[in-house]
Amino acid sequence: MSAPHFANFVVKRPWLRAWMQPLANWYANASGYRQIGLRADDLIPEESDIVQQALKRLPPKEAYDRVFRMRRAFQCSLSHQLLPKAEQTTAEQDVPYLSPIIEAIEAEQKERADMDAIVVARPKAQH
Amino acid sequence: MLSSSTFGRRAALRAANCRQCLSQPANRRGLAAPASGSFQYESSEAAGVKIASRDFAGPTTTLALVAKAGTRFQTYPGVTEGLEKYAFRTTERRSALRIVREAELLGAELSSYHTRENLILGAKFLRQDLPYFLELFAEIVGSTKYEPHVYDEEIKPLIQMAHKRHIDNTTELAINSAHSLAFHRGLGVPLRPSSATPYTKYVDANSIAEFASAAYSKSNFALVANGTNHGNMAKWAGQFFSSAKNSSAKALESPPSKYQGGEERIAHNSGNTMVLAFPGSSSFTGGSYKPEIQVLASLLGGQSSVKWSSGFSLLANAAAPFPSVKVATKSAIYSDAGLLYVTLEGSAKDVAGAAQETVKTIKAIAGGDIKKDDISKAIAQAKFKELEYGQQLWAGLELTGSGLVQSGKVYQIDETAKKLEAVTEEQVKKVSSVHISPMSKNDANRVMNVGCSDPP
Repeated sequence: MSAPHFANFVVKRPWLRAWMQPLANWYANASGYRQIGLRADDLIPEESDIVQQALKRLPPKEAYDRVFRMRRAFQCSLSHQLLPKAEQTTAEQDVPYLSPIIEAIEAEQKERADMDAIVVARPKAQH
Repeated sequence: MLSSSTFGRRAALRAANCRQCLSQPANRRGLAAPASGSFQYESSEAAGVKIASRDFAGPTTTLALVAKAGTRFQTYPGVTEGLEKYAFRTTERRSALRIVREAELLGAELSSYHTRENLILGAKFLRQDLPYFLELFAEIVGSTKYEPHVYDEEIKPLIQMAHKRHIDNTTELAINSAHSLAFHRGLGVPLRPSSATPYTKYVDANSIAEFASAAYSKSNFALVANGTNHGNMAKWAGQFFSSAKNSSAKALESPPSKYQGGEERIAHNSGNTMVLAFPGSSSFTGGSYKPEIQVLASLLGGQSSVKWSSGFSLLANAAAPFPSVKVATKSAIYSDAGLLYVTLEGSAKDVAGAAQETVKTIKAIAGGDIKKDDISKAIAQAKFKELEYGQQLWAGLELTGSGLVQSGKVYQIDETAKKLEAVTEEQVKKVSSVHISPMSKNDANRVMNVGCSDPP
């Protein structure tokens, strides 16, 4: 499931964004996942139906790359090594590829729930 | 959710529509008024889209979008099947779920199916909802999203199911095989995937989207409605379809059908079917329309029109000693060719026996041995069937749409009934001696046999 965040709130306010962005960059780099070649979306817990569904919807290339990144990160973690600088994820590479799909599935489910709880109001007679 | 713009717009349209209803009451003609006039379709063009409608008295409307995109015109095997299943899926403006729920709220029925020549999207609804459904159809045509995950999760299982049903049904398999022997390509392409190859190799969201852009271009489809005012239809169609694509880079084409000959036996473990097929008549809107063939089909007959009796048609009599056999004769009509076929199904032994009798009967007819009585009975039955077909709401929608797209002509049931009436004994004899003579040199007969151990 997509993690709760207040990124939208920040992004809408340029002054706040200018202030927060360097902090965010520092935080993302400090969390260490980029040093072992992962992207932020690789960290989303898989153990939910929605994420499983989203993973099935990934294009084949994306799915392959994701598994590759994870295996490489696993090896790094086991051997207590970081990747060489050239192979580490850069800020430009760290794009959301899974969360848009997760959001679409959540929107579908929300729409279904809303439609199931629908209250039909007939328009007033027009004649 | 309901208070969103879609419903607000719909309410406004309905209000506008009702004002029109008041100035021109829709039910001017009572149910007791003569019906023959209302059988006629009015046709015109709105925003470049061919439309036809007839003002059938009654509170409901049947609307169909007939696209010249049947299996005959498909660019890859199975792509028509895929496009059919993509109908009423998520568009850029609303989701598939929303389309279905809105249709349910309006008390409407949506359907989509395809034939050898056409892909048909249909809707049945209350008269005043016409603008809503024209808008929906315009949306399907113009802005359906062909998303890969929809194909993987929803369309592909449906195609697989159609494939399985197709190969399990010996009759369907045999009729398809007869078509492929008769026409090889074009009309001979199987109606549903007969192997897994189409959906494992050719069909995916991209190829369907590409096919859709050709299938849903303005010159390639027609809108046909039953039970609506033609003016109304033209007005709303013109408004909603003005943004539809004009024409695609690659028009869908199929070479003219040419009748070939052949025979095929298919081993199958779930039944016995035999199909004997002969060259037939094209549709009324096509070039080689022969009403005699339809008379000949009802002369051969096979199916009873009363309960608890095998009927009195020639083939029913011929197959009477074989109680497990079901016999039926059908004249399938297409835009430029046709196929007259007899289907026999039942237990292997009975099918083999009935087939011998059937062939004897057909040879006798081809030899000119037809009673005058039988011919007049057959003409009356053919005419009744045609008119009865015309009374049903779905009737002629496809034929009319297909006629409009392919030759600009409308399928008028009154006129076909008149032509049937005018058929003479000599015409029937002549056509039977040419078309169904199993001895004719140009290999006019076809014997198709599924799972039958001892064919004639």
